[in-house]
Amino acid sequence: MTPYMITFFVMVGVFMIGCFALKWPVGVSMMAAAVIGGLEGMLAHGTSFSQTITDVVRMMVEGEFGYIDTILTIACAMIFMKVIEDSGALDALSSLLIEKFHKLPAVLLILIMFIIMFPGMITGSSTAAVLSAGSIMAPVLLLLGLDNVTAGSVIAMGGILGMIAPPVNTAALVICAGIDVPYVGFTGPLLLLTMPLAILFVLMLGLPKIKNLDYEKLKPALEKQDATRKEYGFKIYVPFLVLVVLMIFFKVIAAKIGVTDLGMPVIFLISAAVGLFTGRKINPLKAVPAAIRTATPVMAILMGVGMFIELMTATGVRGFIVVTCLQMPQALWLLACCISIPLFGAVSSFGACSVLGVPFAYIYGTYLGGNVVVCLAAISLIAAVGDMMPPTALAGLFAAQVTGVKKYTKILVKCIIPIIILLVWAGFVLVSSKKFAWSVFG
Amino acid sequence: MKKKGLISTCIILAVALTLAIITGISFSKKRNFVEDIVIGSNVTSQFKLDEYNEKLKGTVGDVDVYVLKGEEEGGSILILGGTHANEPAGHMAAIVMLEQFQVSKGTVYIIPNICQSGLTHNDPLEGTPQYLHFTTKNGDVRTFHFGSRASNPIDQWPDPDTYLHTSGDWTSSKIKEGVNTTQTLSGSEVRNQNRCYPGIQDGTVTERVSYAVTNMINQLKIDLIVDLHESSPEYAVNNAIVAHEDALSLAADVKLELDSVDLSIRVEPSPAKLRGLTHRELGDYTDAYALLCEVGNPSQGRFRGYTDEALAITGEDPCYQAAYKINGGTLLYVDYSSGNFPIALRVARHVATVAQMVLSMNFEVDDPAREVIIDNFPDIDTIGEFYEEMVEADDLGLWLN
Repeated sequence: MTPYMITFFVMVGVFMIGCFALKWPVGVSMMAAAVIGGLEGMLAHGTSFSQTITDVVRMMVEGEFGYIDTILTIACAMIFMKVIEDSGALDALSSLLIEKFHKLPAVLLILIMFIIMFPGMITGSSTAAVLSAGSIMAPVLLLLGLDNVTAGSVIAMGGILGMIAPPVNTAALVICAGIDVPYVGFTGPLLLLTMPLAILFVLMLGLPKIKNLDYEKLKPALEKQDATRKEYGFKIYVPFLVLVVLMIFFKVIAAKIGVTDLGMPVIFLISAAVGLFTGRKINPLKAVPAAIRTATPVMAILMGVGMFIELMTATGVRGFIVVTCLQMPQALWLLACCISIPLFGAVSSFGACSVLGVPFAYIYGTYLGGNVVVCLAAISLIAAVGDMMPPTALAGLFAAQVTGVKKYTKILVKCIIPIIILLVWAGFVLVSSKKFAWSVFG
Repeated sequence: MKKKGLISTCIILAVALTLAIITGISFSKKRNFVEDIVIGSNVTSQFKLDEYNEKLKGTVGDVDVYVLKGEEEGGSILILGGTHANEPAGHMAAIVMLEQFQVSKGTVYIIPNICQSGLTHNDPLEGTPQYLHFTTKNGDVRTFHFGSRASNPIDQWPDPDTYLHTSGDWTSSKIKEGVNTTQTLSGSEVRNQNRCYPGIQDGTVTERVSYAVTNMINQLKIDLIVDLHESSPEYAVNNAIVAHEDALSLAADVKLELDSVDLSIRVEPSPAKLRGLTHRELGDYTDAYALLCEVGNPSQGRFRGYTDEALAITGEDPCYQAAYKINGGTLLYVDYSSGNFPIALRVARHVATVAQMVLSMNFEVDDPAREVIIDNFPDIDTIGEFYEEMVEADDLGLWLN
């Protein structure tokens, strides 16, 4: 096991040096860590030099394709976001929501939270939630009086709870595939795990800031938004409607009637295309490159993550991490589960589900005799925290971006208490899974 | 600055292009690599799977079906290998049987690469080798694929967010009215051959292959099908036969016989609610005994250490050795006390199990007209001797032509 430990330290060391000493972008640091760790691990194992080079190069490209679908979704979601921002649709929706719900701030906050969660619920992706509904709700939260960091925190937590809430939970699906469990009966446990937290977090973070909301004082700040709303009327909301209708149709209904899923990238692009004609004039030749430039760092991170996981697996570091966690005394397995999975999420939350989520699902669902569905649901919630962990921190980074927060770590600090509550709740459900067996339905 | 930026951009693009060319050649070579299956006189004929689904014509799924027909008429069995191409013992066991079985009565159909698409690539993020090599008795080195659990995205992409498995146009009198035969699975499972049965005639390439297999079994009235797999040592269903309820007594007989020659194997009933698998759907939608075999494979487990061809062949792994020491070895579902689990042993288990399945089927059916006789394996003692010899030799190449 010692050679694996050396490779592990080489990979982590190179990543840290790249990120912090050389100030390379995170994606590039990941790639460097993967390549140098791969070379060290393979050569130390006795693999010939030529074979090592061939394998490292192949695995770089192979790993890079591990997240190709997510990368396409992010690119297209950013284009949609840019279009609705430039068309004035975001301004108009903010003005409308505040006007209708300003008398009921708690209800307004809960409503905003559910709206943020919705795209995550039907795509299983926190990125989709933050970049679509999160970006739409960001100006609303800011106008209501939340500071940028708090607004970003609400959106980030909404994103990760949305990706776990039913009907589609990709993290649970990844673990299901790993242990041959059908994705059946998850609706109840996932609702139980996510909805109380969603209400708690949004009120905890947002209510102190807006409980004394004075709409009359707010009105002057909404002048621009009101004007856009009045100028374009209902048609400015059409891109949102198209997005929601297409998502519901293709994610919930299509498969049942034998229609092929268009996929999130195309759904975002269609909605963006509609947005070109429903508000202020937009030049796609400027808007699209601007959107892609914004998304590039995150896309690069995901490519780097793919290379990192692939070479980590090939060199035995993945197995070393898993076995090291399990070598802890049985009494500490819960702690290992609640810490190692989110920490691994710093590389990738879906990677954490595959690498650590699956073994822990075996442990709690089979070996310790828990309720498999409840255990998997709880582990998926723990894994979702990975989307807040730097450097990848997809939910956190994008939430910072849509709320104009320059340092993502401020959002992470603000979210620490909600994250601890989430982990305690998920851990409790995990160890008491049999007691929650009643919730298995749907 | 602009000139400097342009130069660095050009350098980065040139490096990216070079890497793309190198890997492109590697991926293309794997995609087009044809395994050298040696056909002996025991193979009486072969045909393409498109005979049972014309929609497969011209696709990667239109694989060869090898026929080993005895001189005497009798029953028939179908052996599927390579369903999951990252489980090499399943693939290799089918090839060994194809090259070694001498059938004197009845017919043995063998498809060693039922998911050919899965053999043509590797799973991203898994860091697996591309090929396995074995040296035969004659000193020839033969090369075989180590592939992916799922079909190649080049053949069907993108995956949906979730895969809704359905039974297509198939109906079964065995399934009670009101029983749900649809099921939601992870999106990537849409490329898993063993989640797509009974198959859809004009569906994805994976579904078309499954449809052809189901149709072939029904058309040829095949008596028994066995699907050969491997599983992670930490997976509960291991060193086991998974049997449809109609095949449970046959599987129990196989277990009893194999236990008598020190080949310990478990019997697991096919879960009625886990749809899309061979042991479930082929049992429900055909009249064949539907069985699936699992054997522990450290090279696909999540505890594994350094992953290369040697691991796939020897099964020797320090991480699994460490895992076996946790809680008295109870974390693993295979006996890993020897610190390895070689492919020769894994293939030997599969071959011996299938040979015994044939004997048990003859006993269960109790009808000479439906008997299958493999001359190499007339009884359990011969099976036991073969198993012992193959495990002791620990060299799969000796059983390849």
